[in-house]
Amino acid sequence: MEHFEPEIVAFCCHYCAYTAADMAGSKRISYPSNVKIIRVPCSGKVDAIHLMKALEKGADGVYVAGCLAGDCHFKNGNVRAEARVNRVKKLLTELGWEPERVAMFNMSAGMGEAFAQVAKEFTETIKKLGPSPGRTGAMDKAAS
Amino acid sequence: MQMNQNSENILSKDRRVLVIGGGVGGIRAALDLAESRRNVLLIDKSYAIGGLMTQLDRTFPTNNCDLCTVSPHLSQGGREKYLEIKPMTRLTGLDGEAGAFSATLMTEPRYIDTEKCTACGECAKQFPDAVRFSPGLDPRAPTCMRYPQATPFAFSIDMSKITDVEALKKVCKAGAILPEDQPRKTVMDVASVVLSVGADLFDPNVLDNFGGGQFDNVVTGLEYERIMSASGPFQGNLVRKSDGKRPKKVAWIQCVGSRGINRADVPYCSSVCCMYALKEAMVTKERFGEDIETTIFFMDMRTHGKGYEEYFNRARDEYNVRMVRSRPHTILEKSETKNLSIAYAVEDKSVQQNEEFDMVVLSTGFRVNCETKELAQNLGIQLNEHDFAESDHFNPVLTSRPGVYVCGVYESPKDIPETMVQASAAAAMAATNLPVSPAGLNGEDMFPPERDITGEDPRIGVFVCDCGFEIGGVLNVVNVLDAVKTRPDVVVAEPVGYGCSSESMAKIEAMITKHKLNRVVIGGCSPRTHETKFQDLLRRVGLNRYLVEMVNLRDQNTWTHMNEPEKAQEKAVKLLQVGIAGVRTNHPLREHTLPMNQNALVVGGGITGMTAALKLADQGIKTYIVERAPSLGGLARSLRKTIEGDDVAPFVQNLVDAVTAHSNIQVLTRSVIVDHSGMPGLFKTGIQTGVRMNYMQINHGVTILATGALANRPPQYGLGTIDNVMTQLDMDSLLADDPEKIQAMDQIVMIQCVGSREEGNPNCSRICCQAAVKNALKVKAISPDTEVFILYRDMRTYGFLEDYYRKARDLGVKFIRFSLENRPRVRQDDGELVVGTHDYVLDSDIDIAADCVVLSTGLVADDENTEDLALMFHLPRTEDHYFLEDHVKLRPVDMAQRGFFLAGTAHSPKVIRECITQAQAAAGRAQTMLAKKEINLGACVAVVDEKKCASCLICVRVCPFDVPFINADGVSQIDADKCHGCGVCAGECPAKAIQLLAYEDDQILAKLDGLFER
Repeated sequence: MEHFEPEIVAFCCHYCAYTAADMAGSKRISYPSNVKIIRVPCSGKVDAIHLMKALEKGADGVYVAGCLAGDCHFKNGNVRAEARVNRVKKLLTELGWEPERVAMFNMSAGMGEAFAQVAKEFTETIKKLGPSPGRTGAMDKAAS
Repeated sequence: MQMNQNSENILSKDRRVLVIGGGVGGIRAALDLAESRRNVLLIDKSYAIGGLMTQLDRTFPTNNCDLCTVSPHLSQGGREKYLEIKPMTRLTGLDGEAGAFSATLMTEPRYIDTEKCTACGECAKQFPDAVRFSPGLDPRAPTCMRYPQATPFAFSIDMSKITDVEALKKVCKAGAILPEDQPRKTVMDVASVVLSVGADLFDPNVLDNFGGGQFDNVVTGLEYERIMSASGPFQGNLVRKSDGKRPKKVAWIQCVGSRGINRADVPYCSSVCCMYALKEAMVTKERFGEDIETTIFFMDMRTHGKGYEEYFNRARDEYNVRMVRSRPHTILEKSETKNLSIAYAVEDKSVQQNEEFDMVVLSTGFRVNCETKELAQNLGIQLNEHDFAESDHFNPVLTSRPGVYVCGVYESPKDIPETMVQASAAAAMAATNLPVSPAGLNGEDMFPPERDITGEDPRIGVFVCDCGFEIGGVLNVVNVLDAVKTRPDVVVAEPVGYGCSSESMAKIEAMITKHKLNRVVIGGCSPRTHETKFQDLLRRVGLNRYLVEMVNLRDQNTWTHMNEPEKAQEKAVKLLQVGIAGVRTNHPLREHTLPMNQNALVVGGGITGMTAALKLADQGIKTYIVERAPSLGGLARSLRKTIEGDDVAPFVQNLVDAVTAHSNIQVLTRSVIVDHSGMPGLFKTGIQTGVRMNYMQINHGVTILATGALANRPPQYGLGTIDNVMTQLDMDSLLADDPEKIQAMDQIVMIQCVGSREEGNPNCSRICCQAAVKNALKVKAISPDTEVFILYRDMRTYGFLEDYYRKARDLGVKFIRFSLENRPRVRQDDGELVVGTHDYVLDSDIDIAADCVVLSTGLVADDENTEDLALMFHLPRTEDHYFLEDHVKLRPVDMAQRGFFLAGTAHSPKVIRECITQAQAAAGRAQTMLAKKEINLGACVAVVDEKKCASCLICVRVCPFDVPFINADGVSQIDADKCHGCGVCAGECPAKAIQLLAYEDDQILAKLDGLFER
């Protein structure tokens, strides 16, 4: 456990979160390198299946980062994303997984600090939870 | 047309604009003109375009590397069909008048055939014996490329330094050497001229007190940039020239040669040196060690630009850059260590101090050189007392000669964002009355037909940039490539240096062709800034633009994990795996276009909005001005005089009259925006207008935000509670309306930075120092015996405003500094107003009796208004509630949301002439978009697999734009022309019948596979 480096996938919307991540870079704000970003046009594009598959394939935690409430470039994609994340949380609970392994965050394009902060906090949360049951084979048990 | 080898006359019905000077300003102006389909010729006296900016290491306030931000602009310059570039060319005469000039140009011999030169560098290797690259520090090559991304991409030779011409010819395998090359004269018809020649930097070698150029470890700010630059003399290693060791203690001395009246000094402020010194100090700590001590000796810290005060605070508080308020008078060199001793005095101690440093950087400012004075003479334009171009008070891009426009530093000292704004403004002015050239090839037609890759197995090329030290300084690029080159379908994996340079692009193109690649992964910076560039590269070699994936190894890896190189290395490999796995599933996509609405909406009817609207309307564009107040004019209505002494009211009235009378402008006062929909080029905005608040909808293709800012009135120092405490705006009115009241006053005290540069409103309001000086001068003019005290924190009379500050001191206006920790106190003693403050020179508290106290309260963002509009239009704002432009350095007028442009005080506080310039720039930028006539909607749209669709109506319900419907066949239909490409429907569709192209499920899952491949 002491040297556990989690694998974390962040689905970031192009207009806010992905830009905020770039902003964190240009301000040279560091955050854990565990976080790997996959860019999507809108957080509302992120399907429940993408979150589940990410966990199944080996992620210890997955989050979706979209625009601030009311600021979505596509009106309400971020609201849909949040609802989906909540559905996946329920699903995980039913499977006996920690629902904290998935999360939704909101930030604006200019919020480089917020991006780094979210990345740090989420990584800490996952570190405390330990490796995902998917990695340790618990997935099969849960599914059976 | 060619008459003989050395002389040609170009007469053309398609008149063009001549842009003189190929720095960032000239490039921006030329590109704007070309994008709005005007023919342009860009000339530069140098052998490559790029100007001063290409020599900088990084730029404030983002601390980005310059080359990677400017090079896309440069090679864009090489691409535009309406744009011709002539380097090594000067203007020697300009006859005729606006609209019908005849320009005489002289082109120096390059001795290299640019068509043949492949820039292999052999000649440079064989003849490396002269200096031409970085100022004073880099002894290299008579044949010289200025920087790795040079345009044109060819060398040039200083023939006077070559003794054996035959040997030189032999070296060049391409046969590009032209020993007999001659100067060429061209006479050409031009409609207008844009002057963007910049200025030189002051040469401090004339200053004996600073070593007269004899001390190895005293360098100028620009030399320091070159030392830190990856393309500089020490390959980006910060070392002392004397012993090659890294300095431990570096000092910057500000205002060297500026803001002085001694023999070598100029009196004006160069506007940029405070910011560049802060930047250099921060980058020094960031890149070369936290423990390097950095000290800046300054007189006034002038960080008056947008967000610059926060940058200054960051330098002082987070980077621990030491700030010493002093103007040192001597530097002495220690003969044994070559260390430097600076002698200086600080204001509260009368004794001189000596302090030793390893390296000293002289922050030198702008100077007009003799060549430019000669050019001005050839152009027949007037110069101001400092030899810069004299410009119109209200319209700074107008020179004294009609048809000749000026922008950038040659108008007055300024930084890059302001230069970009002025360049777009000058381009917009130069294009007035110049007909649009017939539409030629559109973007896509310039490329070869696409190769059909159906049935081919994926053949992937992986190319990774080092971006100088930005990536290469943290990652071992070769090892990263080794780790991914065995991935399935990867055919080549190569490092490409600066991947965005013409050289590397050519290399990548050649490898795509040679290895018959059909997929490409670029590991480099952010796709947000560079994806289009690499997509274009694919199109040039006949591949569909959607067959490339950009992997963000810089902004999201090396920049954030610079202190953990091993982790960055590991992450880079994984990110590349994601890119490789993703690109394997990519397939060719087709983009959709729609005709664009040609109307413009201008939000805000102040000076800025009216100026922008007039500029657009004059070009035949139907323009709507929406103003919430009952009348036009905005904040300028409450202003009487400018610092130049011009009356504001008649100027505003003229604008109002012109706007109201214009047949292409519809003015809607008492109007508020209530809804907004559509997409860039096809916007629909709903307003409620008039006393009855009638609803109407405006269709428009572009939007200009000119909503202004608010005059600040914070309840400080008794404002609103004590009589005779007023703002500078109140004083401005009083001076105009009741001069006798001023004459009856004995003492007036002004207090600066009220409600600015403090918690709640951290940035500088920019306008207040000049407002105080303006009003102080006016007081002195009306009533010479009235004493005026200005209590300030830093006097920020940037550029030529410094002249007014000096004049005020000459007239006896007393300037007393205070600090934020020890602010002045306004009180009433027996009904008398008294201001108490600490005088740092006397080192004691003093009381000043005042007949009135004038507070410099500046501007604050119109939070409520910008918030409403930001929500409606989906636009980002800064933390202090101004609108946030797309790129603070290079795109200061464009918003990230296409079709939106920003001008005036809605962007940040600025004076009237700066608002007018930005308004013209916004109108110009809007025209470049309207000139395209159609909008590209991209290829990222949702498509329905009819076989899977169960007509469940979920997509119909969830689409934020009501696009899907159930068609006659009973299945969901999504029109590509209407789809915004968010993918919400694809995310919700229970049958997985909808895919968002370019972000299809199998592509996202493949990326996840790539990430977790071991």
